[in-house]
Order: sequence, then C-alpha cells, then structure tokens
Amino acid sequence: MAVQSTTSVARTGDNAFLKAVAALSTVAGWISAGMIVVAVGITCQMIFVRFVLNASTIWQTEAVVYLVIAATLLGLPYVQRLRGHVNVDLVPLWLPKGARKGLAIITLSVSIAIIAVMLWYGYEYWHFAWDRGWRSDTVWGVRLWIPYLALPVGFGLFLLQLIADLVAVLLNIEAPFGLEDD
Amino acid sequence: MDPLLLGALVAVFTIFVLFSGVSVAVGLLIVSAGFLIVFDGMRSLELMPEILFGKLDNFALLSIPMFIIMGASIASTRAGADLYEALERWLTRVPGGLVISNLGACALFAAMSGSSPATCAAIGKMGIPEMRKRGYPDGVAAGSIAAGGTLGILIPPSVTMIVYGIATETSIGRLFLAGVFPGLLLVALFMAWSLYSTWRTGDANVLSSTTYTWRQRFEVLPRVLPFIAIILGVLYAMYGGIATPSETAAVGALLCLVIAIVIYKLWNPKDLWVVLRDSTKESVMILFIIAAAGVFSYMLSSLFITQSIAEWIGTLEVNRWVLMGVINLFLLVAGFFLPPVAVILMAAPILLPIITTAGFDPIWFAVILTINMEIGLISPPVGLNLYVINGIAPDISLKTILMGSLPFVACMVIAIILLCLFPGIATWLPNAVMGTSV
Amino acid sequence: TELRLSHQWSNQDIRHQVAQMVADEVAAADVDLDIKIFGSKSLFKPREQYKPLSRGQLDMTVLPLSYAGGQQPAFNLTLMPGLVKNHDHAARLSDSPFMEALEEKMADDDVMVLVHGYLAGGFAGKEKCITSPADVEGQQTRAAGKAFEQMLAGAGASITSMASSEIYNAMQTGVLTAANTSSSSFVSYRIYEQVACYTPAADVALWFMYQPLLMNKSTFEGLSEEQQTALMSAAEKAEAFYLEEAKKQDAASVDVFRNAGVEIAEMSTDDFEAWREIAKETSYKAFVDEVPDGQELLDMALAVE
Ligand code: NA
Ligand code: NA
Repeated sequence: MAVQSTTSVARTGDNAFLKAVAALSTVAGWISAGMIVVAVGITCQMIFVRFVLNASTIWQTEAVVYLVIAATLLGLPYVQRLRGHVNVDLVPLWLPKGARKGLAIITLSVSIAIIAVMLWYGYEYWHFAWDRGWRSDTVWGVRLWIPYLALPVGFGLFLLQLIADLVAVLLNIEAPFGLEDD
Repeated sequence: MDPLLLGALVAVFTIFVLFSGVSVAVGLLIVSAGFLIVFDGMRSLELMPEILFGKLDNFALLSIPMFIIMGASIASTRAGADLYEALERWLTRVPGGLVISNLGACALFAAMSGSSPATCAAIGKMGIPEMRKRGYPDGVAAGSIAAGGTLGILIPPSVTMIVYGIATETSIGRLFLAGVFPGLLLVALFMAWSLYSTWRTGDANVLSSTTYTWRQRFEVLPRVLPFIAIILGVLYAMYGGIATPSETAAVGALLCLVIAIVIYKLWNPKDLWVVLRDSTKESVMILFIIAAAGVFSYMLSSLFITQSIAEWIGTLEVNRWVLMGVINLFLLVAGFFLPPVAVILMAAPILLPIITTAGFDPIWFAVILTINMEIGLISPPVGLNLYVINGIAPDISLKTILMGSLPFVACMVIAIILLCLFPGIATWLPNAVMGTSV
Repeated sequence: TELRLSHQWSNQDIRHQVAQMVADEVAAADVDLDIKIFGSKSLFKPREQYKPLSRGQLDMTVLPLSYAGGQQPAFNLTLMPGLVKNHDHAARLSDSPFMEALEEKMADDDVMVLVHGYLAGGFAGKEKCITSPADVEGQQTRAAGKAFEQMLAGAGASITSMASSEIYNAMQTGVLTAANTSSSSFVSYRIYEQVACYTPAADVALWFMYQPLLMNKSTFEGLSEEQQTALMSAAEKAEAFYLEEAKKQDAASVDVFRNAGVEIAEMSTDDFEAWREIAKETSYKAFVDEVPDGQELLDMALAVE
C-alpha cells in the first residue's frame, strides 16, 4: 500500500526516451524548488520594507503569488516522477497482476487525455493574454502572458512525464501503479 | 436533470474514478471535465485551465509550502531527537514516560510544522526505535507516533486550517488560535490513554529503568531553545502586528532554514536539496489538489449542485445535532479515502452554508473538521501517517500500526464529543485574543 | 433560453438586488428567458469574471469595471479619484459621450452595458481621521484600486495590497493603519470594530466606482427581438432603483459606524481640491501616460457638469 514513500522514483531502464523525459522533469523540479525559495525571500523582503522601512510594497505580493503558481505547475512532472501525487490504490492492489496492468494503462491514458485538454486550453488562454496584451490590474501591471506561460509549459512537461510512465508500463520497465509483486 | 440527482451521480462517478488508482488531483479533473462536457457544453471545458490558475491565484496559498519547509528543515536535523531526549530525561520517572515524551515532542513539533506527515517523521525517526528498544510493544510505539503526528494539522500552524480559511473566507489567524486548546486537549487524552495502557499491562516498572541526574536534565534544556525561539518568533510576527499569517509563514521558513543550517550544521548542499525536494514534493502535491478541487467545485456550482444540496438540507427539519452527527460521519468517511485538503475544498462550499444556518460557529467547525481529518490520516486506505511510520519502521506491519493507533482514534472521537458539549474549548482563545466577531 | 449571471456579492447586497430585479422582470415578461444568478463568487472569482464574459463563456455579470483595467486600461477611469462628485453627477456621467466612448471599448471585447451605476466609498483610519492629504502621511494604507494607490502614495502614504477580506485582521494587528474602500465593504467586513474614525462619502466624495451590469454582446444579439426588449426594459427599471439605493448606502454606512462609536469626519471642499491636485500629478498623469487616447477620455469625463 505504498501511497507515499519517500524513495520511489519512476524507472527509466535503458530507454533513451524515458531518460530524456526524466531529465526534463528533474530540471523542472529544480526550477520549481528554486521558485519557492525565491518566494520565501521576497516575502521576507516585503515584511522588512513594510515593517522596518514603513515604505510601500508594490510588486511583492503579486510576484510571490505568480512564483508559487509557477512552482506548482512546473513541479507537476517532477512530483509525478517521484510518485508524489497521492492516489487510492485499494482496487489496483486487490486486482490480479494482468488486470492491474490493464487498469494502469486505462488510468494513465485517461490522465494523458485530460492533461492534453488542459495543455490545449491552457495554451489558448496564454495566447489570448499575449494577443490582447492583458496586464494585471495593479500598479505593477504585469504582462499576464508571463505568469500564464506556466500553464502550457507545466502541463506540457506533465503530459510528457505521463506518456513516459505509460510507455514504461507498456514495456514492462515499471510495475503498474509502482506496485511490485509481494 | 434534477441537481440533487445529478449530485448523486457525481458522487458515484467520483468514487469510481478515484478508486481506479488515478492520482486524486487528476481524478478530480477527469470527473469535472466529464460532467462539464455532458451537462454544460464545451464552453465550460475551455475554462478549466483558467479556473485552475485562478484557484492558485491567492496569496494565502504561499503559506502552504512555507509551513512545510519549516517542518521539513527542522525534521532533517537532530532537533527532533533533541526535543524528544529533553522531554524524556524529565519524564523518565513517569510510568510510560517514553510514550508521554514522544507525544509531548509531537505536540511541540506540531507547533512548528503545518503538516502531519512531517511531524510524524520528525519525531518517529528517533522515538519509535527508542521505544521498541526499551520494550514497548510495537503497536504502542507506532500508534502513538502516528496519532501524535496528526497534531501537526490541529496545533498551529496548520495547512488544513489555511485551506479552510481560504475556502470559507474565515480569518486564518483566528483559525490557528482555535486549534490550540483542542490540540492540548488531544495531547492530554493521548497521554492519559498511554498512561492507562502501560499501567494496565504492568509494564510500567520495566519501562522506566533509566534514570537521569538533575544535572543531565538541565544540561539538555538549551538544546530545546531553538524550538522555543522559532515558535515565539512566529507567534510574535503573526499576532504582534508585523505580518499577516500568510506572510508569517515565510518568516518561519526562513528562521527554520537558518537555524537548521547554523545551529544544526545542515550546510551540505545535498542535504539541503533533500529538504527542499521533499518540501517541494509535498507542496506541489497539495497545491495541485487544491487547484483541481477548485475546478471540481466550479463544476458542482455550475451545475447548481452545491446550491441545491445546501437548499435541500435547509428544508430538512432535523435537529441540528443530528445534522452535525451526519456531517461528521460524512467527513469521517471522506477522510478515510481522501487527503484532508481535498475533503475540505470539496466539502466546505457545500457544508458551510448548512453549518451557519444551523447556528454553528464556522471557526469551531473548522476544528471539528480537522479532527475528523486527523482520524483519516491514521486510518486506511489513505492514511498518510501510517505510510510514514511504515517507511520509518518497515518491519512493523501496517496491521500492527493500525491496531496501535485505534485507541487514539477513540481519543479523537471523545475530543469531538467534548468539543460539541463545550464549544468554548475551540472558540474561547480566538475570541479572547481577537475579539468576538467576524 | 437560460442566461448565467455571476457576481461576487451576498444576496442582501444592492448589486445582487439589481441583478435579481432584472431576472424577475424578464421572467415576468414571459419571453422564454431565464436568468440564473450565481452570487457570492460561487462561479468565478471577482476579478476573473470579465475574461469569460468577453469570450462568451459567461453571459452576464455585475462587477466594478476597473477590475478589467488590465485588459482595457481605459476602464481605470471608472475608479479615478475626484472624477465623480456625487451620485447625481455619476448618473450624468453614465449618460454622456464619455460613457459612450467607454462602451465602444467594451464592444471591442464583445461586452455591453445593461445597467449603469456608481457606488461611493470613503476612508477609515485606525488612529486618526483621514480627510486631507496630510493625514495619510506615513500610514500603512490599503487602497481599493490602482489610481487610488498612486494618489495616496503621492500624498506620502505607504501602500500595502491585500484582499478586502484581510483588512479587518490587518487593522487589528496593526499591519494596516488606514483603508479606503466602498461604503458597503466597510460595513460588510465590520471595519467599524477596528477604526477610530470614518470619512464617508458625503456632499463631496473622492471615491466613486462604476459597477454596471454587463452582458456578452453576441449573446444579447442572438436573442429574439422581444427577449431583447424585455431585457432592456427590465434594465431601465433596475437602473433607477440602483441610483436611489446607491444614495442610501452611504447614509446607512454612517449609521453603522456611528452606532459602533466611531468618530465621523467630513471631507471639506478644500480637502477635495487638495486631493484632486495630487491626483492630477499622480494617477491622472499615470493614466494619460499609459492609455493612448487617455487625455481625450479624461477631458470627456471632466467635461461632464
Ligand atoms: Na502545526
Ligand atoms: Na485515511
């Protein structure tokens, strides 16, 4: 019943595609972690500016919000690779091996489909903001295509990692749902 | 289609999808997309990424990764062990003193960490092997840590309280305060049970063999100072007019990282990366569930299900306590299967109007809800704490851990009943500190 | 036909009542038109309503138009300090070439106005009354709207941005010492429990916000002629109601604050002019710099007597 174990990582075997996707996801994970650290720093700076200097804070709140959103979306593929997205694996555990693989293929395929939808409309939304020159309605007035870029990029990389996971199950490189035989 | 019937259909379909083994967040997106396409047409489907982004577009969410980093950075040092050792030297003469020290350490650690698995891991790594070495039964050792760890989301800071605050627009500062006394109540109940169980089995004498001199007791105290400093620093920032609760989380994260690096010498980049990686992993997992649950609740609202259920329950002429009982049962069952944030985000928009109409205090209800979620954390099939323990002590079977934590579940149920009888346990402190309204 | 209307307010709020009135009138006209209201942010977050509205994913909304200032910078004129003097002046603005120019911009986004309406607001101070620009110097202030932030910063205030739901606690802990928002928000967030002094909208008021009931234009054009007529006549009734109720809001908020023991201050004409001088140097200037036809629009607004 390994819902969240700290050590498991998606296997790549010798497969070049799987290795490449794993590398991409890992880099995305580093960027995501880096963004969270930067958000910590900016928030502390903001408190300092306001409390110690008693000055205005114009851009910090917004910057932090967009950093956390980007960290979340870019973190998706990496967390998928680390098997960090929680699931309920009662049924998979209970199924015999063959059926378990079948179910894994179905769930991964449906996941791929929904994330592809998110990627598509996420891209469209990003493009709309780019095309119309949308900005945030604050004094800082960020060009919204910049934060919105996290949607197509994050979902795109997440999609790749999910496809890699499906390939790994199909090629028997990874056990379905990461469940080894007991 | 009648919205209530549609609601039942959504419930069945959601259970079906989530049980297929798909990850919770993606599962919620799948269900939302399915119902939006069928009952609302393509134009709502187009909106999904926009709504998902919008749900994350909230400054208060920043505190989730921050409070997780706080816990994770301290958990990666020997700070947890120090804390635990200090308590143990002082409590060794008490029968069952080791369990008591562990529970105390969990409670203190919970005051620094916003998440339950982190609390569990921090104290368990040291506490479980130590208890087993001294002859405590595996079930007691594992169960007490699993249960003690759940305090992470009740004693402030708490990720679930933050999520509840966002979902219901209640003050996070107030919610945090509301968790303090119920948290202490739970600690007391847990300790009482542990004392009773060691006394009953007659292990008490065997189990308090080590003795410490007063000198040994005092010399360990300075090692607890960093903890006290962090807790006081965060409290001061939050209630002293320096920062809002969400901003305070960043101060806490920075404080903890600095203390972990300077005092506990966590300066190996590799070790630091592990802290950061684990925090990122847990945060992204939670934030993605929050975002997906946001899309899910958009779907419920768009199909008028949320509104109809609230209306329907409003027309039922039931006793408010019967209503509370049913809600508790629902939360309990949901908590068995889903992680706390998912339950809160999906249930809050539906439950809150019902709760307030029935005359219950939403701050008090947050505490009830959180304790229900705590039970879920130590019960199968998705009991995160059980798996954390399983990771620390792989040779203790899940069944033993589960049996060991059952009595603590009973304590939590007692706490819920006490809170229903005396709501002041939760509401007194926030009212005393922040005034009675809002 | 079913139309979906989204807004952020509770069902006691005047803006909900306006929406409800339109829905009821249209239903009574019996033209096969049903307006389903999603209130209290149950469908979209406040600032995320204009985008789906302009893309036809949402049919109607009641919102402060300045929320869409990031998409159409010209809309920032609908929350500009000192542009509107009182409610009757606001009504004249709604029926002027200035508003026609804004409606043209909305039409570019496939959006049209059904019901015009302005609501007023004021200032609240934790320690002292805020009437003249000198009063905000060195205060940690939360302002509603970009143009007000610019003006207040110009007067020497420190600006902090936060959701209006956070004002209460930020005031309580002292993170915030002054705030500026609408009369109804001051009341609904119980700010009167935290402040020493309230400066409401009175004979002169600095803070007016345009909060119309909008509709997707293509959706409207897709309706039958009698449906359109029914909508328009419902909107006309609602607009009259909106203006009358908007006037009552300010007085009601004063009562609430006074009953809570809060001092009530008044902004004099001199104060108003002093603020407007600062606004000219800060928010007006920033607006003209940002919007290509900004000066023209500003002049049109200022020309309304
Ligand atoms: Na905690
Ligand atoms: Na569970």
